[in-house]
Amino acid sequence: MVFILGVNFPEQRLVKKSLQSFYGIGPQISQRLMARFHIHPTAKVSELGSKQVTDITAELSSMTIENDLKRRLRDNIRRLRDMGAYRGKRHAMNLPVRGQNTRTQVSTARKLNRIERWA
Amino acid sequence: MASSSCWRCLLRPQTYASRPSAFLPSTGTTASPFLSRAVTPAIPFSTSSPYNAAKAPAKGGNISRVQAGPPRRGQKSLRIKKKSPVKATTRPPAPGERKAARKRIVLSNTNAVEVQGLKELSPETMVDAQNHGQVLGIPGPVVDQLRAVEAFKTTQAWKLFRQPSTLQTKQSLDLAQQVAKVTDGENGKRTFLRKILTGDKASGKSVLLLQAMAMAFLKGWVVISIPDAQELTIAHTAYSPLRNTEPKQYVQKAYMSELLSRTLRANQPVLNGLQLSQEHPGMPVPLQSNMTLARLAELGAKDADLAWPAFQALWTELSAAPANAPARPPVMLAIDNLAHVMRNSAYRDADFNLIHAHDLAIVNHFVKHLSGEKTLPQGGAIVAATSASNTPLTPTMTLALRQIEARAAGTPEKDLPQPSAWEPVDERVKQVFAARGGIDVHTLSKVSREEARGLLEYYAASGLLRAAVNDSLVAEKWILAGGGIVGELERGAVTMRV
Repeated sequence: MVFILGVNFPEQRLVKKSLQSFYGIGPQISQRLMARFHIHPTAKVSELGSKQVTDITAELSSMTIENDLKRRLRDNIRRLRDMGAYRGKRHAMNLPVRGQNTRTQVSTARKLNRIERWA
Repeated sequence: MASSSCWRCLLRPQTYASRPSAFLPSTGTTASPFLSRAVTPAIPFSTSSPYNAAKAPAKGGNISRVQAGPPRRGQKSLRIKKKSPVKATTRPPAPGERKAARKRIVLSNTNAVEVQGLKELSPETMVDAQNHGQVLGIPGPVVDQLRAVEAFKTTQAWKLFRQPSTLQTKQSLDLAQQVAKVTDGENGKRTFLRKILTGDKASGKSVLLLQAMAMAFLKGWVVISIPDAQELTIAHTAYSPLRNTEPKQYVQKAYMSELLSRTLRANQPVLNGLQLSQEHPGMPVPLQSNMTLARLAELGAKDADLAWPAFQALWTELSAAPANAPARPPVMLAIDNLAHVMRNSAYRDADFNLIHAHDLAIVNHFVKHLSGEKTLPQGGAIVAATSASNTPLTPTMTLALRQIEARAAGTPEKDLPQPSAWEPVDERVKQVFAARGGIDVHTLSKVSREEARGLLEYYAASGLLRAAVNDSLVAEKWILAGGGIVGELERGAVTMRV
């Protein structure tokens, strides 16, 4: 088991997959992150050297990911609502924000467009 | 006591209670004044029964909003139960088991007939022009060495025959003579051959490379082989930057350690007989002065961190000319599927740019020797084979090979093949071929009818071709094999026999 940013990953897990398990890191960021520390795309967590692990952890802790990123997202939406913007209102009403029709198929908007968004 | 209501009104169900009329006709459900007991309907009719039947209020919770009717967004009416996954009753393959099965090399078939009078490849037979068109068996120890350097491929039909054997074609005879010439040396000096084997699909490039390695082993050379260049460049093995290199080079530790392990297994007898003669300040660990080269290779094979310095030390030793020690043997560098190292690799540098394959340290080592920038004082050869089945487009290399061939055929410079304006030019690849010249491009030709006859006779003697080998059969098989493409000949006569 290897700790990356306080999370314990099994040794057989791909590094790429482990990095992408953090909120805010997708394929692009994980590829660039791995290239920076010279980790090949098919590397497993067990293959990482201790220096690579500390480097990755240091890099991840300087990035806006996980709760910080979620908070930023919520703050952005709250700012829209507080200034009385149309987009803020639509978020508050759980309705589509970008001009979509609302006659049918707004379940995604109902689920996601909130002030206190989960993600 | 007299009631304010009449008897009838008391006995009626609530529905009728509010109706004052005493003259309504009595129905079956209403009570008769003559019955001693009132009969009430079992289920009183009401349209709001589902409402009442709605879920009971939660403990302490309010029931201000009771769910009624279908959900707002509709409901799926058809529910098909998903099939549960079939549980495997057999044992699942262990990690690595499937890959091992895929890569398994079988080199002997006990059911095949042992070919009587089969000559074996030896330093004498390999250069003997009498054996042109004959099939020669590869001796057992050499088979083990070839297996160690992974010269046999799964796509070749070794598993059908009693013993791995190869056809002595004109090209293999030429190559054997060149190997023998390098070993003997000219005027006390050995040369360093640079050859590229190319040709159509199934024309025998990899087998000629195998023959070259077999000849090198027979002549006591050290063989270092990259069995498939693709493994180095598709970014499936670890890499790390090498210090103090400009442009930045990258070393693949895990691959290097495996390469050293293969080299050690294949060249154990030769390396055991050689000792260190130089100082190696680059090695992170101290070395004994009387250490054998086999032990040095073993150091690198066991510890991936030492692999690259150990390889460099080994190379320095192999290219040294010690004064009071046995002379170093010639070295053969072999690489198959060359096109993969003549382009960008799939690795990325720290700035996310693709790394050129020539910036990978081991590839760079091979390419420097191929271009002639580096050479071995005690002689040897670098033999590279291209592949026609799993190969990326490398326009620069293809053009360079065509130009070298045209020059060798005596084409004047102005009539040489020219680069296409629409294809990108890889300057680094261009340099390899343009820098010094002297690369021998060997395009494998089709086998002649005489060579095909020798091969078919071997198939028949092995019991795999059940027909009399005569002129008409040879002509038929030869023509069906595209006029002598040796892989097709094998397929038509043996592997896909109907």
